[in-house]
Amino acid sequence: MIIALETKSLTKQFGGLTAVDSVDLTIQENSIFSVIGPNGAGKTTFYNCITGFYTPEVGDVLFYGKSLVGLTPDQVTYQGISRTYQNIRLFANMSAIENILVGEHSRIKGSWVEAILHTPRVVKEEKQAVVRARELLNFVGLVGLGDQLARNLPYGAQRRLEIARALGSQPRLLLLDEPTAGMNPHETTEMMHFIRRLRDELRITILLIEHDMRVVMGISERIAVLDYGAKIAEGTPAEIQGNPRVIEAYLGSGAASGLNDAATQPA
Amino acid sequence: MKKQFRFAWSAGVTFGIVTIFLFLIGFTSTSGDLLADLFGNKNAASFLGLTPQMVNMLIFLALVGLWAGSYGSRKMKGQTEDPWAPALVGGLIAGLVHGILVGLLALLVGILNLHHLPINMYLAALLPPVITMFLLGGSPIQGAIFYLVFFTLTGFLGGLLSRGVGRGSWRGRASGNWKNTWDGFNQKPLIKQVRGNPASRYVVYGVLLVLLFLVPLVAGQYWNYTIGTIFIYVLLGLGLNIVVGLAGLLDLGYVAFFAIGAYTMALLTAPAPQHIMWSFWIALPIGVVLAALTGLLLGAPVLRLRGDYLAIVTLGFGEIIRLLSTSDAMTSFSGGPKGVPSIGGPIIFGHPFNSGADYVWLIFLAAILIIFVTNRLQNSRVGRAWEAMREDETVSRAMGINTLTQKLMAFAIGAAFAGLGGALFASRNQFTGPEDFTFMVSVNVVAVVIVGGMGSIPGVIAGALVLKGLPEVLRELQDYRVLVFGALLVVMMLWRPAGIIPSSRRKMEVEVEKDTGVTEPPKEGGEK
Repeated sequence: MIIALETKSLTKQFGGLTAVDSVDLTIQENSIFSVIGPNGAGKTTFYNCITGFYTPEVGDVLFYGKSLVGLTPDQVTYQGISRTYQNIRLFANMSAIENILVGEHSRIKGSWVEAILHTPRVVKEEKQAVVRARELLNFVGLVGLGDQLARNLPYGAQRRLEIARALGSQPRLLLLDEPTAGMNPHETTEMMHFIRRLRDELRITILLIEHDMRVVMGISERIAVLDYGAKIAEGTPAEIQGNPRVIEAYLGSGAASGLNDAATQPA
Repeated sequence: MKKQFRFAWSAGVTFGIVTIFLFLIGFTSTSGDLLADLFGNKNAASFLGLTPQMVNMLIFLALVGLWAGSYGSRKMKGQTEDPWAPALVGGLIAGLVHGILVGLLALLVGILNLHHLPINMYLAALLPPVITMFLLGGSPIQGAIFYLVFFTLTGFLGGLLSRGVGRGSWRGRASGNWKNTWDGFNQKPLIKQVRGNPASRYVVYGVLLVLLFLVPLVAGQYWNYTIGTIFIYVLLGLGLNIVVGLAGLLDLGYVAFFAIGAYTMALLTAPAPQHIMWSFWIALPIGVVLAALTGLLLGAPVLRLRGDYLAIVTLGFGEIIRLLSTSDAMTSFSGGPKGVPSIGGPIIFGHPFNSGADYVWLIFLAAILIIFVTNRLQNSRVGRAWEAMREDETVSRAMGINTLTQKLMAFAIGAAFAGLGGALFASRNQFTGPEDFTFMVSVNVVAVVIVGGMGSIPGVIAGALVLKGLPEVLRELQDYRVLVFGALLVVMMLWRPAGIIPSSRRKMEVEVEKDTGVTEPPKEGGEK
C-alpha cells in the first residue's frame, strides 16, 4: 500500500492554546479518510497546517514521502493537494468556468509577456485549459451554467463548483471541509455518491471533515476523531461507533456511562 | 392606479427640485442663450411683449415640463396594456406638482426682489434682471400663477405625447415594433452573415479609429488640449484599473508614478537644470521603466498590507514624491517649486511636434497600445489570478497563486502605464512642476475607475470622458459647474452603482462549443 499523506506528531499552538496536539495520521492512497470531532476540536486548523497556511511548531507533514512543512500554500497546491471550504468561498464575481480556470492556475505556465504577445504556446495552453474546465464542469454536472457568475448559482451548484475548482489543479489529495453543510437529505446522498466518484473515477485520495454522521459512516474507510486538538481514536466506522471515548467527547462524560440507555432509545 | 399616482407625484417633486436647482444656479437664464447658440436663433421672435431671451428660456422650460409629464405618466413595470386615462392623469399630476413647486419659487424670489433684498450676495446668479426675466416682467403673483399653469399644461401634454391618443398607445406599439424590426433585421441572411463574421467587427473598429484620428484636425487648439488630457487620464485610468479594478489593491498614491514618468522625461530632455537634452524617444522608455521599478520597490514592502492599510501607505508615498520635488534639497537637481521648463518634444523624420494635433495622435497611439495590452492581460492566466486575488486573497493562495509576485506584477505594470502617461504629459505641456502632482490627481484617477466601472476597459474610457470632459463642457456655468458635476456624479452612482459600463464576463462555455462544432448544451438547473 502506498501512503499518500502522513503527519508525524503534528502540533500547532496559538499562544498558550494547543489547537492541534501531536496528531499522527497515515492516509492510504486512494482511500476516503474522515476527520471528525466536536466544534473547535482543531479540524480546520489541522487542514491549514497541511495546506501551508499555518506552520506547525512541532512535527512533520509528509506527502508521498516529501515534507510539506515550510512550503507556502501555492507550493503545496503545486505538489498536488487541493481543498474546499466549510463556508463556500468561490470567486463570486467571476463566471463558473473562470473559477475553474483559476483552479488550473498552477498547471498552466504562461507569463505576462507571453500573454501580451499571444505566443502560440500560450494560445494552445489557454485553449486546452478551457477545454479541461468544460470537462470538469461536465463532471460535476454543471453543463450550461459555465458562463453564469458564481454568486448567481444555486447553493448545491456552488458546492459542486467549488469542488470542480479544486479539481482544476489536478490534485492527488483533495481536502473537503464539510461538503454537505446546509444540504437536505437528498442533496447529501447525491454528494456522497459524488465523493465516491471522485475517488473511483479520478483516483483521488479524499480527506474529509464532516459533521453529518450518515456521510461519515457511509463513505469513509477510516475515521480519526479529534478532541481538543488531540487524536482520541482512529479506526473503521464500526470501531469508532462503539468507542466510548468518542461518545464521551461528543456527548459528555455523563452520557458515556449511560451509553446502554441511549443505545436502546430511538434517535 | 394608486401606484400611478405615486409615480406621478414623485416625478413632479423630482422635476420641481431639479428646475429650482437649475434656476438657483442660473442655468435657466443661460439655457436660453445655450438654445439660441444651438439653433442660431439669437433673435427669436419677440411676441406678446416677451424678449427673445424669455422665449428661449420658456422653450427650455417647456422641454423640462414635457419630460416631467411623460416621466410621471410612464408605464409601470409588467403592465401589458396601457390605458390612456391613468397616463394622462399621471402627466397632469406630475405637471401640477412641478408647477406648484416652481410657482412657489417664483413667488418667493419675486417678493424678495420687490423688497430689494440683495439675493445675489448669497446666490451669485440671481441678479435682479434675471429674476425679472424669470417672472416674465410681471408681478410675483402673476409669475407664480403663470408657472403653475405652464407646467400643468406641459406636464399634461407630456403625458399625452408619450402615450398618444386613440386605440393603441405609442409606447406599446413602439416597444413591440422596435424589437420586431430589430429581430427581423438580424434574421436577414446577408446581415446574419456579416454579423457572424468576425472580420466585420474589425471593419467597425477600423472605421471608428479613422474617425477618432480625424478629430484633432477639426478640433481647435483648446479642444485638442482637452482631448489630450482626457486620453492621458485614459492611460492613467487603465493603469490604475489593473491595480484597483483587477487586483483589488487600493492605491491612493498613484500620482507618484505619474510624477516619476513626467520628471524623467523633463530632466532627460530639458536644457535646465540637468542639461542632458536626450531625445524624447530615449527618455520615454526610461520613464516607463523607472516608474515600473519604483512600483516594484514600493510594492515589495507594502503589499503584505491589505485594504485600508495599503491605501494609507500608498497615499503617504504619493505625498512624499510631491514634497521631495518641492524640497530645497532637490531644487538644484529637479528645479524645486519652480518646476522644469522647455521640456523636449518628439521629432519624427525631422518633423518636430508643435501643433496640438500631433500630440493628440501620439497620445491616441499610446492609449490604443495600452488598451491592447490591458485586454490581453485581462483575459490571460495572469489577469484571472489578479481577479481571483481581488475576490478572495486567501482562497487564491490555496488555488496555487503566488499572491506576492502577482501583486508586484500588477503594481509594476500599473506604474509603468502611469509613467508612460506622465512622460507624454510633461512633453506635451513642455513644462512640469510639483503642482501637477497633487493628491487630487490620484483621487481623480480613482474616480475615473470607479465611475467608469471597475475592471472594465470601455468603462475606464467612458469614465475619463465623463470626469475630465464634462467639466469642460459645463464651463458655461463657471463656478457652479463643480456643483452640477457633483450632482451628476451622485445621480450616476445612484443609477449605475457598478459604473457607467460595468465589466462583463467573457462567454467562454458557448464560445468553445462553436469552435468544436458541438451544438449548444441544453440549459439545466437554472433556478435562482
